[in-house]
Amino acid sequence: MSIDFAQLEEVDGTRWTWLFWPTTKAAASQCVLPFACLFTPLRPLPNMPPPLPYPPVTSREGTVLNPYCSVDINARMWVCPFTFQRNQLPPQYASIPDNQLPSELIPEYTVVEYRLNRPPAPPPAFLFVLDTTVPEKQFTVVKEYLLKALSLLPPGTTVGLITYGQHLQVHEIGFTEGFRSYILRGNKSYDAASLQPLLGLGGASAAAGAGASAAAKQRADATAAGAHSKLAPPDRFLQPIQECEYMMATLLEGLQRDAWPVPADERPKRCTGAALAAAAALLECTYRGYGAHICLLQGGPCTEGPGTIVGPKLDEELRSHIDIEKDNAPHLKKALKHYDEVATRLVNAGHALSVFGCSLDQVGFYEMKACVDRTGGVFVMAESFEHDMFKRSFEKFFECDENGHLKRHFLATLEVDCSREFKIAGVIGPSASLEKKGPSVSTDTEIGIGGTCAWRIGSISPDTSLSVFFDVVNQQSNGIPENHYRYIQFRTTYQHSSGEFRMRVATHAGRWCDGNDLVTLAAGFDQEAAAVTMARLAAFRTENEEAFDILRWLDRLLIRLCARFGDYQKERPETFRLGPSMSFYPQFMYHLRRSALLQTFNTSPDESAFFRSHLCRVSTADGMLMIQPSLIQYSLESAPTPVLLDVASVRPDVVLFLDAFFYIVIFYGDTVAQWRKAGYHLQPNYRNLAELLEIPRRDAAACIAARFPYPRWVESDQYGSQARFLLAKLNPSATHTSGNVDVLSGSAAAEFIYTDDVSMEIFLEHLRRATVATT
Amino acid sequence: MFDWLWNLLSYLGLYYKNAKILFLGLDNAGKTTLMHVLKDDRLAQHVPTQHATSEEVILGNVRFRAFDLGGHEVARQIWRNYYTNVDAIVYIVDANDRERFPESKAELDRLLADEQLSDVPFLILGNKIDIPYAASEEELRTALGLHHLTTGKAGAPRGMNARGAKDVRPLEIFMCSVVRRMGYAEGFRWLASYL
Ligand SMILES: Nc1nc2c(ncn2[C@@H]2O[C@H](COP(=O)(O)OP(=O)(O)OP(=O)(O)O)[C@@H](O)[C@H]2O)c(=O)[nH]1
Ligand SMILES: [Mg+2]
Repeated sequence: MSIDFAQLEEVDGTRWTWLFWPTTKAAASQCVLPFACLFTPLRPLPNMPPPLPYPPVTSREGTVLNPYCSVDINARMWVCPFTFQRNQLPPQYASIPDNQLPSELIPEYTVVEYRLNRPPAPPPAFLFVLDTTVPEKQFTVVKEYLLKALSLLPPGTTVGLITYGQHLQVHEIGFTEGFRSYILRGNKSYDAASLQPLLGLGGASAAAGAGASAAAKQRADATAAGAHSKLAPPDRFLQPIQECEYMMATLLEGLQRDAWPVPADERPKRCTGAALAAAAALLECTYRGYGAHICLLQGGPCTEGPGTIVGPKLDEELRSHIDIEKDNAPHLKKALKHYDEVATRLVNAGHALSVFGCSLDQVGFYEMKACVDRTGGVFVMAESFEHDMFKRSFEKFFECDENGHLKRHFLATLEVDCSREFKIAGVIGPSASLEKKGPSVSTDTEIGIGGTCAWRIGSISPDTSLSVFFDVVNQQSNGIPENHYRYIQFRTTYQHSSGEFRMRVATHAGRWCDGNDLVTLAAGFDQEAAAVTMARLAAFRTENEEAFDILRWLDRLLIRLCARFGDYQKERPETFRLGPSMSFYPQFMYHLRRSALLQTFNTSPDESAFFRSHLCRVSTADGMLMIQPSLIQYSLESAPTPVLLDVASVRPDVVLFLDAFFYIVIFYGDTVAQWRKAGYHLQPNYRNLAELLEIPRRDAAACIAARFPYPRWVESDQYGSQARFLLAKLNPSATHTSGNVDVLSGSAAAEFIYTDDVSMEIFLEHLRRATVATT
Repeated sequence: MFDWLWNLLSYLGLYYKNAKILFLGLDNAGKTTLMHVLKDDRLAQHVPTQHATSEEVILGNVRFRAFDLGGHEVARQIWRNYYTNVDAIVYIVDANDRERFPESKAELDRLLADEQLSDVPFLILGNKIDIPYAASEEELRTALGLHHLTTGKAGAPRGMNARGAKDVRPLEIFMCSVVRRMGYAEGFRWLASYL
């Protein structure tokens, strides 16, 4: 009986590499792969009750009452399963009849959401930072989409605008007559203290942000009361859409591209780094501690001032992977430092940065990754602002739910507590450490962002997911009784886009098992969760390690896993078997090794940063698409059916649909392509052909409707140039060296691939041999 | 003795030249495939190149800094950003894709007419001749309109490099098959003589 892990994920938003944990540290280390949870804090769960209108009952340690607590209503006491401390229940719980348990104590409700008893936040702020050096046509489009964003955002949302080229400009949008803007130099950095006097944001000496967030609070109160206070100074720059839409429209209409002439041998001067620092500072002064999101719309790399990626002269090229490896990227260290500082300030203020980079060449994602990843923002990469990958992604970014609230929420804090037999080793995902120590924090193992039990997620949507790593510390001597459970509580406090503060509490009870009971351990192995977890770990390691070493490390772990859980006789590869719950894992590793998540050839540093950033924030299912894309075959003979990701699946009489997350391919086999060229599908008696051409496109469109970012859409005939998007992902079971391929005649022999890469069969064969040889 | 000479030569920058070369050509011509073979001696299947990448490759006694640029139509817009200080262009053509010869010729003509590249040597590689019906050198030369432009396969006379004979831009066509690892080495040897 195999476990349906995807179904379990619907219960509390968790997927575990191992569902059953061995009871001791020693036994845990023999499981080879880490004990981790892919957790989607705000995942919509079918069985979650509506938000509870009262605040949670909290223990002295911060843990929250849940169905696994032992509760004595009469004595008004509850015992926390993490700390085993007795805690008092609030008075109102005394009168609760036994058969009317409050929701958070009902056994099925292991996940509940509370409305916190706090005054609502001011409407969230979106501060747009717009590059004015983008080419004319694209500039028109990006301005149009900025206006579109204003129409997509709830009307109460606050917005602001900073534009930049060689200098940066902070625009006043709070006055109806005339436009004023403050022009700031692009060659220096800004923080709250240096920005305040420049923009006239009150006394320069005032402790950064202190007075200003009072202003935000004041506005929150005013908004709550349905009134609007007079413009506080910062409101000149940040205004609710309903007040400033007309202004913004007029301003954008008149907005010109950067006027500085660009010599033929130079790049435009862009002070992206300074503009971001100023944007962060403006929000520090006005929105500290409340949800705000900076959206950077960028058409090229920073070439001026702090955060410079590349000099303005074209004879200096953008850094590539080889430059980074050889320490031959002169701006890199300084740029990383600048963006890291900006990231820290964003994190401390609770804000997020998302970057829409639209250019044919790199724009500096590699350097800016910390600003995005640590704040919960997102990267969108497109070749132009005119491309669907920008347009559709940008629209989706501002998507609202059926109540008109943004799907993207703000300023989340994830706190994790767990039973004492294990500790939290860290998190990999779009977050930053809040450096909160506690008894649940591992002191000797750190994986990802560790040393804390609380993380800030500046922007969070229902599909934001993180990997949480654990470390079983229980020693041999401490027996854990059978039927004993391990408990973990995830508490996500966040500013709902409606302004409400909420806390989602997910309490998970997992089973322990005997470390020698390999059957049970293996049965609880979620190979997809494990593959995504290992991919994230590997991606995380690329920041400090050579790709070659990481691949070796993945191989070693794979061999050790197979040696531990496989069935085989020593030195006899042909006897090797893996149980059904693990049987696909080696193949996932095969595809992971080949993917652009880890390989850097033919990939720019920006592309690598982009892929890895998304890998570390998507759901398990989407992560799997990045590792091993899905392939579906359509033909005249049979219903659509999933086929192997193998060159053998390429046939002239089929249409294939490949979903690789970042792009999709609709591939027309040669015969089908000929038919289409001849126009058969337009004739009434070839309706079935017309359908064969149409259905895959329809399915693909449906498949990516909810996808963020909007993927590249590729259609190609067999032997066409763009078919490489598909071919590169296929297992090369037939290559130019395979004997059965009729290379010379070039006739429509079976498809094959020109490659020296080993096929999956050979990889698995090596794996079997290495496994049975281990001692 | 030889060591001494070599050291001197490399000191003078004559031995290891750091040459900047661009791999250009239409999409699917084989630029990335070639780059990978040169770098790691490995053949692999790549996705179409989106962002330009660069690698260090050593051929003969020349260290190249090779830039592999995307060849699809939109990506060609940024080719010009890489023209400054370029030492050579390697222009790759899929010799089996006759349908696209005119498109490839148009791009090549644009490059040859570009001021910035006026004295830069061009190595034109007619790739994929392992395919039986691929165009011959003669056919490709005609299709690309290079009859009066090629400067001969002998390479630069000893002791004189490209800058010695400024008036004629070195340009030659070599047929090759990257997947069979044949033909391009001659081309690079020819190119190196001008660097
Ligand atoms: N038959 C044959 N095929 C080749 C040869 N060299 C490359 N190919 C194939 O042709 C295609 C060329 O792909 P790439 O090298 O990615 O092409 P590119 O020029 O980099 O294309 P873009 O990145 O789109 O500009 C691949 O599918 C190769 O397998 C060759 O010598 N013979
Ligand atoms: Mg390429």
